[in-house]
Amino acid sequence: MNKVLITGSEAAALGAKLAKIEVLSYYPITPAFPAMERLSKYIDDGELNCKFIRAESDHSALAAVLGGSLAGARSYTVTNSQGLLLMTEVVYHVAGLRQPIVMGVANRALSAPHSRFPEHGDVVSQSASGWIQLFCENNQDILDNTIQAFRIAEELRVPVMVNYEGYLQSHTLEEVFVPEQSKVDAFLPLKRQPALDINNPRGVNTVTSPDFYPYYKFNQNEAMLESLNLIPKVAAEYNQEFGANSCGLIECYQMEDAEHAIVAMGSIVGTARILVDNLRKEGRKIGLIKVKVWRPFPVKAILEALQNVSFVTVLDKNIVFGVGGALATDLKAAAYGRGEMVINGAILGLGGGKCGVEEINAAVMETESAGSDKNKSVWIGL
Amino acid sequence: MALKQLPIVPSGDPGGLAESANAGVQRINRPVISDATKIDPIVILFCPDGAISLDESGFVISYKFCKGCGICAKESEGIVMVPEYTGPKGIF
Ligand code: SF4
Repeated sequence: MNKVLITGSEAAALGAKLAKIEVLSYYPITPAFPAMERLSKYIDDGELNCKFIRAESDHSALAAVLGGSLAGARSYTVTNSQGLLLMTEVVYHVAGLRQPIVMGVANRALSAPHSRFPEHGDVVSQSASGWIQLFCENNQDILDNTIQAFRIAEELRVPVMVNYEGYLQSHTLEEVFVPEQSKVDAFLPLKRQPALDINNPRGVNTVTSPDFYPYYKFNQNEAMLESLNLIPKVAAEYNQEFGANSCGLIECYQMEDAEHAIVAMGSIVGTARILVDNLRKEGRKIGLIKVKVWRPFPVKAILEALQNVSFVTVLDKNIVFGVGGALATDLKAAAYGRGEMVINGAILGLGGGKCGVEEINAAVMETESAGSDKNKSVWIGL
Repeated sequence: MALKQLPIVPSGDPGGLAESANAGVQRINRPVISDATKIDPIVILFCPDGAISLDESGFVISYKFCKGCGICAKESEGIVMVPEYTGPKGIF
């Protein structure tokens, strides 16, 4: 394995290159752009044999990638925030048409007011779209998850978004171990599953009557749920092949005897680790659950990890207006009727707002002072 | 739950506009041949769903694909539109 110093954008591009993508389309947007730029350079330098389709909008970009995928090509795109919103219609097409497309999303806050800073609001808007959503703690995760995403997507025919945060990850240099191309080739054998066949023409995405529509949706949901079994297997195989340390659905850190658990996804997991280490030194029984897979929501794995916990602090870098943080809402629904724990949904870091060790500590203290309010929700850092 | 055998990618056979056991679920009126001798064959082209065909036995309307738009009845004699639903009417 080769060790390199690269940004998250480069890790995403490198993952797609190692997966030997065959069709690429994108529409420039910040902070996803450096990943696009890097992929274009790979193609230009002759290092990647891929058809790049220029598009006049994100909507068209994903539509072009969808066409490539329907023809049986391994297809990839990258976007974020407003671009993802513009893609939304096609995001649902891709999932409904069961195309194994992988998309990198350099998470950025949504307008209005306009923002360029990191936040998970953009992908939370796609939570019901039928895409598997993986979150990355660091640049190594971005590379590992991108490669694994193709395996998961192609085996189940469910598209996958690989989320990494704008700037915090997309523009930050970190050490990344890069697997060898020949091993990635063996890990990711290309099995073409074209939906378009000139010898057997069919109409794709035809009007579907109520006699069939619910069945398609049932099958889609089943495939999504099946990924809860597949993802840990793929991660284990990946770790074995490449000596990597990629978690399955979730990763438990210092959870063995923990009474208080922090639950988080994305870059904030790395910061929460520091707080856990600090509090452990003070003798506090606190642990951390890193959520790698947010869609589908790994209910069983998380509840198992929370079995002996009295306090849960959920960190959400997003807000579903009138409801709360998306991760906390999912967790509270999952934990309904199961035990007496206090679950505090903390909203922090919106639009690039501060979400350092101090802010996470403030959230943890809020949870422990909840008293009888077991279903708490607080905004941190206002 | 007995699942129907469906393709993984939602798709339909060529010539079939709607993948449906019966597109009639969306029809309010159905076209009925009242006098086959008066039908102008141009309706085969006018029908947006390709639901009208001509074979040895004469004109045939496929109620699987006909959406009940009424274009055929408007364009040609010999076809009339009759209501699919004949029960009580009103606001229920
Ligand atoms: S009613 Fe419309 S859809 Fe049905 S046969 Fe006539 S033209 Fe075709």
